[in-house]
Amino acid sequence: MKTVLFLTIVLISGTLAGLVHGTVNFAIVEPYLDQAIGIENQNLFASGEEEDTPEFWVEYEGYRVWQKSGQILAGVILGVSVGSLFGMVFALSKNSLPGNHYVKKSLLLAGIMWATLYLIPFLKYPANPPTVGDAETVVLRAILYLSFIAISGIGAVAFYKLSKRFENNKKIISLVGYGIFISAVFFAMPENPDEITAPMSLVNEFRLMSVLGVSSFWISVGIILGLFWNRFESHKETTPYT
Amino acid sequence: MNSSVLTTKSKSTIPVFGILVLSIIFAAGLFVVGFDQGHIFSLVYGEQAFTDLYIHELTHDMRHAAGFPCH
Repeated sequence: MKTVLFLTIVLISGTLAGLVHGTVNFAIVEPYLDQAIGIENQNLFASGEEEDTPEFWVEYEGYRVWQKSGQILAGVILGVSVGSLFGMVFALSKNSLPGNHYVKKSLLLAGIMWATLYLIPFLKYPANPPTVGDAETVVLRAILYLSFIAISGIGAVAFYKLSKRFENNKKIISLVGYGIFISAVFFAMPENPDEITAPMSLVNEFRLMSVLGVSSFWISVGIILGLFWNRFESHKETTPYT
Repeated sequence: MNSSVLTTKSKSTIPVFGILVLSIIFAAGLFVVGFDQGHIFSLVYGEQAFTDLYIHELTHDMRHAAGFPCH
C-alpha cells in the first residue's frame, strides 16, 4: 500500500471514530460532568473560595460552554492520535492476526488494544469526574496512568512475541503469563492518592458512561479501518492459517 | 477434522515513513488531549498560557471522559 493511501485511511478512520467517541460522550457523559461540576461549585461556595454572585455565573458559563463545545473536537484529536497508533499496530500485525477478512482482523486487534491499553489500566486508575482530584497530584497521577498503560502495552507485545516460540496448542501459556505479569504490576503500582469526596453513585455511573464512550471509539476504529483496508489493499491472498 | 482456518495475508510492505508520521501524530495528539496544561500556547504567549489554559479547558470534558487525570 502506498504511503499516502496508508496515511489517509488511518487518519480518516481515527477522525471518524473520534467523532463517534465525542458524540457519544456528548450524549451520555456530559450530564454527569454537569452534575459533578455543580457539586464542585457548591464546594467552592461552602469553602469561601468563590462567592455565589452573578459575576461568578457569567464567568462560569463562559468557560463551561468552551469546555462542552470542545468535547467533540477533542474526540476528533484523540481519535486521530489513538487511531494513528492503531493504524501502525495493524499495519505491523495484520498478517499475524487470524481471520479471512480485514474487518475481523481489525476488530480483533481493536479488542486486544482496548483491553490492554484502556480497560486494564482503567481498572487500576478509573476515570473520575470533576470534583474528584487534587491539582497538586495531577502530575503524579499522569505519570502513574501513563506508566501503567505503557507497561501493559509493552507486556502484551512481549508475551505475544514469546507466544510465537510455542506450538499452537501451547500458546495459551503466553496469555496466562501476561495475566500473571499484569496482575503483579496491578498490585505493585501505587494507588491513586486522591480521596473521593463525591457521591459514589455519581462516580460509578460516570465511570460506566466513560467505558461506554471509549468502547464506542475502539469498535468504530476497528470496523472503519478494516473496511478501508479491505477496500484499498490490492495485493492480498487467502491462505490457511494454522 | 482440519483445524486450519482461512486468513487474509498482505504481500505489501509497511511504509516506514508512514509509521514515522503516525508516531508523531500519536504523541502530539495524546499530549494535547491528555496532558497539556498551557505548555503548547506558552511557546507563543509565555507564562500567561499557564493561567489561561485554553487547550486544557477545550479538552477538559474529553480528558475526564477518556480517563486522563485532570486537576
